Amino acid sequence: MWALAWRNVWRHKARSIVTAGAVAVVVIFTLVFFSFTQATKTGMMEVLTNDFGHLQVKSARAKDAQDFDASLLRGAAELEAALLEELPGVRMARVLEVPALVSGETRSRGVLVIGLKQDPTLRERFELEYLAAGRLPSPGSLDEIALGEALARTLHLDIGDPVYVFAPGTEGWGASAYVLVGILKFPQASYEGKVAYLSLEGAQELAAPGAVTRFEVHLGAGRGVPREEEIHRVKERLTSVLGAGVSVETWREASPDLAAILDLMDPAMVVFSFFIFVLAGLLVVNTIYLGLVERIREFGVMIAVGADRWRVMRMIFAESLVLVLAGSAVGLAVSGVCIAWMSRGVAFPGLDEALAEFGLPAVLYPSVTLQQVAITMAFTIATALLAALWPAWVAGRLQPVEAMRHVA
Amino acid sequence: MKPILRAVGLTKVYGSDGVSTPALRGVDLEVLPGEFTAIVGPSGSGKSTLLHILGCLDKPSSGETYLGERRTDQLDPVSSARLRLQEIGFVFQAYNLIPVLSALENAAFVLELRGVPKKVREEKAMQALEALGIADLAHRRPNQLSGGQQQRVAVARALAAEPQVILADEPTANLDSQSGLSLIELMKRLNVERGMTFLFSTHDPRLLEHVTRIVRLEDGRVVSDERVNAA
Ligand SMILES: Nc1ncnc2c1ncn2[C@@H]1O[C@H](COP(=O)(O)OP(=O)(O)O)[C@@H](O)[C@H]1O
Ligand SMILES: [Mg+2]
Repeated sequence: MWALAWRNVWRHKARSIVTAGAVAVVVIFTLVFFSFTQATKTGMMEVLTNDFGHLQVKSARAKDAQDFDASLLRGAAELEAALLEELPGVRMARVLEVPALVSGETRSRGVLVIGLKQDPTLRERFELEYLAAGRLPSPGSLDEIALGEALARTLHLDIGDPVYVFAPGTEGWGASAYVLVGILKFPQASYEGKVAYLSLEGAQELAAPGAVTRFEVHLGAGRGVPREEEIHRVKERLTSVLGAGVSVETWREASPDLAAILDLMDPAMVVFSFFIFVLAGLLVVNTIYLGLVERIREFGVMIAVGADRWRVMRMIFAESLVLVLAGSAVGLAVSGVCIAWMSRGVAFPGLDEALAEFGLPAVLYPSVTLQQVAITMAFTIATALLAALWPAWVAGRLQPVEAMRHVA
Repeated sequence: MKPILRAVGLTKVYGSDGVSTPALRGVDLEVLPGEFTAIVGPSGSGKSTLLHILGCLDKPSSGETYLGERRTDQLDPVSSARLRLQEIGFVFQAYNLIPVLSALENAAFVLELRGVPKKVREEKAMQALEALGIADLAHRRPNQLSGGQQQRVAVARALAAEPQVILADEPTANLDSQSGLSLIELMKRLNVERGMTFLFSTHDPRLLEHVTRIVRLEDGRVVSDERVNAA
């Protein structure tokens, strides 16, 4: 039966090649798009988690209360020790955010002063990505500051200039003078205009001795994304160890908007590819139907010599499957090669900044999951079966005598 | 002897666009096993209609048909397809064969529909092609065969399936007289050597030398029915 279907399909070479080709193109489109959404998803998540960690440990009161005091995790040293005992060797950033007034000689601005103490690999990456000039404040330094470039420009400040920071009403000194040692550049211009970085110790001395706003916990090492379940397991463990008063959030909980966008990408792709499959399906209907009407007599003879309605319908379905599967085999092969080649990294020269604005890395690593391939294959098979439905119904109702008298 | 095929009071009226054409007006006929019967009559006399109804390809307007003991005029499409598949062989005037299949595959087609394994059915099909003297053409496609050769493949397809009876509707109509004659001679040989029952229509009087019985149709009625050349 399959051999017969195969030969019948290739009776009209040009028409079948066009149709199978359309199926192949749709499969390629779908898989390549899937691979890019996958790359975008992991890329965005990496960019986000590179900056903010996979998990954040915060004060439980931070959510409801807006004031500075409520946002603080006191006894940071003990918390850190407990954290490291639970997750030995994990990479961490300790962050203390202080709303403050920053002044140069002539101007001042309300900004977020961020005290930052990162483990070496995190610090290196931060430096590489964001440092535009000078250096970061040395670890433990009490009198060095780095400013976002836009902020430095607004304040007419240059490296080496003195910078004054006021954080009145806090538990620390409340005011202090620093030397500008570094200029930072961030992809989001608005962020760049309102941040200043100190060492953690510098920020603690200024506003909150012994406290942090959050710990950012980075799981795994290097490229590659830890699995959601693992992140969740770690969250459960930390929550039970660190006790009340402390809340542990996954990156999803910390950035719900982005998480929602990432979660929507696959369904959006499925809907999109559904529509292009419908278009290919119409072409398949046309090809199979024409193949039927051109061969009405032949079907008449087959029915006359004993093929029943179900057999005839199966023949039509077989032809549709052969046609569509031939196309999708080609599509799978081509997109397999394409994606394998692209998975080594695709860069978009000249578009880096635009990508960064959207929270994307400069290099994307397209790949497809088994599930995405399965969805694509399910679509092709469904296309073949649905496209054959109507021609099969027509063929199943043929009367042998009439069909044999049919003049094409 | 019990008849293989039987028609009782068969009528058929074709109706389309308000015009009704009576094609059969009360035909009674019994075909006995081993007969080699020709249905003759002018064009439009109802030969094809009769063969179609006897072969369960079409339904009569009234009357009854039987295959052996079994009544066949009221079967649903699936049962009548099964009956044709298992019990009846067909040879039509033209376009008998499936163009994408070789002569051998065409000859094996009915057996394939029956689900006979490939090896067995190709063996039987090959034997049938041999019986019809075209074994050497087994791997040609229909468009590489002459009209006479194509009709032989069609007979081989019926033969390979070993049906109770082979119905042939003007099998020689599209052939030159020489190939027409030799096709009938081959059919006759199968009839004599294997006892195959044949019922075929023709309007070529020269083919009637070999038959054992001639049924003459005119205007949808049997006007004569004579046994000749008694074997
Ligand atoms: N499908 C049909 N619709 C209408 N009339 C038909 C149809 N088939 C046959 N007829 C008519 O029935 C009569 C008998 O036709 P047919 O059985 O084909 O005769 P024969 O085979 O002897 O030439 C003719 O008058 C023919 O026109
Ligand atoms: Mg006729």
